[in-house]
Formats: sequence, C-alpha cells, structure tokens
Amino acid sequence: MDRYDNRDPPGGRAFDQIIKEDGMKRRRSTFAMVTGLMTALALTGCSTSESGGSGGGSGGSDLTFMTFETPALTADFWDSSIAEAEEVAGVQVSKIVTPNADRTAYAKQLQASGQFPDILSSINPKDFTGADLLEPFDQAWLEENFTDPDGNAIDGATYIPPSNSQIIPLVFYNKTIFAEHDLEVPTTWDEFVNVVTTLREADVTPVQLAGGEPWSASLPLAGIITADVLGANPDWIQQRYAGDVSFTDPEMVSAVGKYRQLIEAGAFDDNALGVNYADANADFLAGGAAMYPMGSWFIGQIPAEDAADFGTFLLPSETGEAVVPFNTGGTTSVSSGSSDVEGAVEFAQAWSLSTDNMRTLIETDGAFPMLSNVPFEDFGAEVTEVYTDAYRFVTDEPLQVSAFGQVNNDDALPPGLVDQFNALSQALFTDGDVEGQLATFDGAWDQAASAQ
Amino acid sequence: MRRRTPLSSRRLGLAPVAWIAFILYGMFLLYPLVRSFLFSFTDRSPLQTDSDFVGLDNYRELLSDDRLMDSLMFTGIVVVSVTVVANAAGLLLAMILNRSTANYRVMRTLIFIPQVLSGVVVGFIWRSLLTQNGLLNQLLEQIGVIDEPVAWLGSSGLATFSICAVVSWVTIAFATVVYTASLQSVPRELYEAARMDGTGAFGRFRHVTLPMVAPGMTISVVLCLITTLKLYDVIAVLTGGGPANSTESTALYLVNVAFTGNRFGYASAIAMLLLALTAVVSYVVTSLLRRREVSL
Repeated sequence: MDRYDNRDPPGGRAFDQIIKEDGMKRRRSTFAMVTGLMTALALTGCSTSESGGSGGGSGGSDLTFMTFETPALTADFWDSSIAEAEEVAGVQVSKIVTPNADRTAYAKQLQASGQFPDILSSINPKDFTGADLLEPFDQAWLEENFTDPDGNAIDGATYIPPSNSQIIPLVFYNKTIFAEHDLEVPTTWDEFVNVVTTLREADVTPVQLAGGEPWSASLPLAGIITADVLGANPDWIQQRYAGDVSFTDPEMVSAVGKYRQLIEAGAFDDNALGVNYADANADFLAGGAAMYPMGSWFIGQIPAEDAADFGTFLLPSETGEAVVPFNTGGTTSVSSGSSDVEGAVEFAQAWSLSTDNMRTLIETDGAFPMLSNVPFEDFGAEVTEVYTDAYRFVTDEPLQVSAFGQVNNDDALPPGLVDQFNALSQALFTDGDVEGQLATFDGAWDQAASAQ
Repeated sequence: MRRRTPLSSRRLGLAPVAWIAFILYGMFLLYPLVRSFLFSFTDRSPLQTDSDFVGLDNYRELLSDDRLMDSLMFTGIVVVSVTVVANAAGLLLAMILNRSTANYRVMRTLIFIPQVLSGVVVGFIWRSLLTQNGLLNQLLEQIGVIDEPVAWLGSSGLATFSICAVVSWVTIAFATVVYTASLQSVPRELYEAARMDGTGAFGRFRHVTLPMVAPGMTISVVLCLITTLKLYDVIAVLTGGGPANSTESTALYLVNVAFTGNRFGYASAIAMLLLALTAVVSYVVTSLLRRREVSL
C-alpha cells in the first residue's frame, strides 16, 4: 500500500500535518544529502592537488609513470622495464599511457587536472621547468654514469638522464636504387640536388616524406636548418632567445629557401602531405623512394634481412662540412611535487641505467647508448649494418649540433613553437613566400618565449 | 479502488533526483563555465596555480589573431556544409526508410550506428580508409577511377572536403532518426487527401511533408549546428588540424593554445567566444526556423 494513501492515516494525526512534517524532514535530509554529496565531489573531483602520487615517504610508495606506446616500445616492454626498476627502487608503479605521441601536451592536461604523474617519459622538460614542476637529477650521479652528463642541461640542471642519443634527421637511402642510377652518396648541397633531379627525371620518387603527420613532415626542413644555420653557428638558438638574430636573417631565409627548392624540383611526391608515418615507412622499405630523411629510430624499423640494401648519410650543409643534427635522448623525468620524490628519482635512475632497457632501445629504436660504465658489447644487442653505419656519426665525433626543434636542453624551442614549425614545413608546399612566413614565425617565437 | 498519488507526494519522491541533476549540472557545466570565464581575464597557464589579472587583454588579442580567424573560417565552412548535407540526406533517407516492415527497421538501425560511435573511433576508422594506402584509394584504383593514390588528407581543399564528408556521415545518422520520427507522426489521411486532389509527388512533399516535419527540422538543424561548431575529436584524429593548420577547427585551436602554448587564460577567452557564437547562431537559427514553421 502506498504510504501516503489517505484512507489510512497513521497514528491518528491529521494527514496534512504528517505530509507537511514528513516533507520538511525529507527536504532537510535531501538538503543534507545534497550538501554532503556536493562537498564530497568538490573535495575529490574539483581539487587541484599538487601531487600525482599517493604514497607516503620513500620506500614502498605507490607512484605513477606516464609512458607511451609505439610499434617499437610496446606495452610489454614498459611492463617489464617497470617491474625491473620497481625492484631496484622499492616502489610500486602504475602506468598512465598517453593517448597519442604528444607526451608533453598530455602531461600538461594531467597537471591541469591535478593528476601530474610522479615520473614522466620523454617529455620536453623546458615546457615544465618554468613552473618548477620537475626535479633535477644529482650532478654527481650524472657525471658518474653518462658520457655527456650535461647533454640535456637546462640552465645548468638536468631533468632527463642523458642515457642515449639520436640523429634527427639522418638520410636513409636505398643502395639498389642508387646503384641502378649510378648515383654516389652526396656530400654537398649541389650534389644532393643533382641526385634529386636525376631520380625525378628517371621517374623515381627521390625523397620519401611522411607529410601527413606534422612532426615527421618537418624533419627534412629541420635537417636543412640544422646543417646550414646551426652548423655555421651552434649558438644560433641561444642568440635567438637573446634577440640577437631572427628568422628573417639571410642565412635562415636561405636555408628555408632550399626546402622550397627541393619541393619545386619534385623531390617529394605531389601527395606527400597525405602520407602518414606508417605508410611512408612501408613505401620506403618496399623501394618506393630513393631517400628518406627520418630520425635514427627508423633503423629499428629496417628488417635485418633487408639491412644490406640500406645506408645512411647526413643531409649536406652549404659548406660541405658534415654536421650531425644531434639529440641527447633519455626517458625519465621526475615530478618535484611527487609524494615520494626520493623514490621516484630512484625509480627513474634505475630505469635509465637498465642495460635490458637500453638493449631494447638499441634494437628497436636505433638508440645510441651514452652510459659511460657499460661497453657497447655488454648490452648484448643484435644490430644491423645500418646501425653500425650510422653509429659512426656519434663515435667519430664530427661536428655535432642541436637538432633544430628536437632537443630537450637549452636549445629547445619555446612552448608551442614546435607545432608552428611543423605547420610551417607543410605550408611551404603551397606558399612560396619564405620570408613572409618566417616573419610570422618570428612573431610567434616572441609571443611564445614571453609566455614561458 | 486505488487513488492517484497526490502531486505533493510525487514532488517529494522526485526531489532528490532533481537535486542530484542540479548538482551534476552545476558541477560539470556551470562551475567549469564560470571558472573558464574568470580565467579568461587572467594569464593563467595549465602548469601553474597562480595567475595575474590581465583585464580585457585576452579579448583584445582575439581581434588580431589570424590563426583564430582561419579556424573560425574553417569551422564556418564545416558547419554550413555539414548542416545542409546532413539535413538534406537525412530527410531523403527518412522518406525512403519510412516503412514499417522489418527490413526497413533493420536498415534504420544500421544507419543510426555512426551516431553512437565515439568521434575518436570515427576518426580512426576514416583515417585508415583515407590514407595513401587506404581502402578508398585501393578501391578506386582497382575499378580504374584513379591512376595513382589521391591525398584525401594531404591538401587543404581535399582535407576539408574529407572532414565535411566524415562529419556528415555521422550527423546524417542523427538527422535520419529525427526525420523518421517526424514522418511517422504525419497522418496518412493528409497524403490521401492530397492524392485525391490530384497533387503529384513533389506537391505532396512540398505541401504535406515539409510543413509536417518542420518542427523536426528545427531540432535537427540546430543540433547539427551546435555539434559542428564545437567539433574537435574527429578532426584531432583525422588530420590533427593539418596540413599547415588548414583544418584546424576553433575547438582544436583552443586546446592547442591551452595545452601546447601553455596559455590557459587566452584559451578560455577563445572558449567564451565560441560559446557566445554558438548561443547566438543557435538562437537566430531557432527563431528563423520557428517562424518558418508557422508560415508553412
């Protein structure tokens, strides 16, 4: 029976009075419930805690680790590497996997929602150091374990252990196609343009471009700028921060103009901006193009049985001097707001020094190790001749300068500028106003640098 | 005989539900909205908890932001194209499928599927179809329509066309359902009377169908407008705003400003602009279509 059926007034009280009292009680209890719920939600959902960790103090604490997955760095790799470092550091670590390749932007979203991880993989530290969100690693530990302890330094502090290095970009070439057209590896810009012209005339795609993805679309342009501008003046980025040089200076306009020259010479296919990274890799490996400017991690994508068909060279500079677009790599950064900074640092250090991790990075990601206490042979990595061929650019020590737009140290671009540079490299396909676009980029630099 | 439950009792029974709804609305809509409005007057960064009041500086910057203007232009193209295509195709499909047999019911369900997929899933599906080595290029090459792959996402024009097509694919599903529901409420007698008066097929469409589905059209058009004005997920996955930012919607630009450029305050000002734009467009279009409903 319905409780409020007025045929059966309970307790002999007037029904209306009961309804009124009961209604008031309900309203009070509803109000109390609502207030409680609101308070609880406000305290949980809307709080902006400074720390992402949930543990308390060093030893056995629960930490979070932001990772990312690629065909080379799989979920299994991260799981096993985390398990190994957990054991060394004595902490428990949960993975937060980024939804896409933009780790830095995702880390900012996590920070904005009060979920900044305790440890972060492969972010751009310069975006975070202005807000003191990262913990610097101990200098003595860096000097003890790495061949270039200051390779990732920002204002004298290091936020990513400099455990390996990359060349961005390296030009991969198809030896068979070169042999078929009697081509030599170019060592000057003019020779490079001649190779492009010869191949185009023979109806062969000279240069593969993964232009559908902005980060990969920009690599040839980044390579030209690095070779010409930073090769001639390794302090150019610092001078730009100081306002002593600009993107409309003749040397930069000339370098970017070379990219237009390549586009106009038919170096890339007409539909290059529609080709994604996976398709570009597959096409190049299948002999669809003669050359492919890509990060040295592409070594890991070349099957061992096909390795003899591929070689590498550096994008030629204007002067002909060999310039290596160098990036000191590394993976783990630590949040200064972690509930257990000490534990997080121990985990990050253990992860970075793991020879198992480095072996995987060498084999699948083409990483060049920079651990000072471990001879290369001790990693037990099986590498191809493409890797050995490229490794000489690290060990032979030609001129190594920061790879434009790719580094994690003082030479990193201001926040947001890498995206604009990527867009610029795509815009140059349809807009020949090099100087005008560089003037716009100059303005964007000033705005981004002032917002840092 | 059981009497009806008094209204006051029913109110008491629903009160907690209404309160919860109000709280959820407040926490997940009003609270972020007010915070975003307040942030729009600051130089807030996603990385820092403190910020400075900058007055109307962010709003002034909106006026001289070329990239914002480009994103608004692109968003406008998508909004108009998708709204027109989705409603025209949705009405056509609804008329074709407005039968009560099982086959047509199944087809109506199938057509609605894109609407229940998340934008991210839609983006991934179509990206795999539209890439250089994707299914669409393979199919067109096999049947001899093209000699070499088309860069569906590789030029400004084609990428814009592809995005409009994909978003239309999703919104057509919604429009079809709305128009089907509207058509099913049209009395058969009206069509029979029109036939008896010698009205042809186009005449019946013009003088019976269109006036009767007008309220549904108002709903469908306005919701399509709102959906496309805030479009983010499909574009983020399909083109990421490229090539060269040519397919960057205002919502995508907003997110890039906030989380790549570290300018939460300015991004909040863009969000306020987008909100105002959506409100004005929705209000104007709703008013116009309601007036049209009466005139029909």
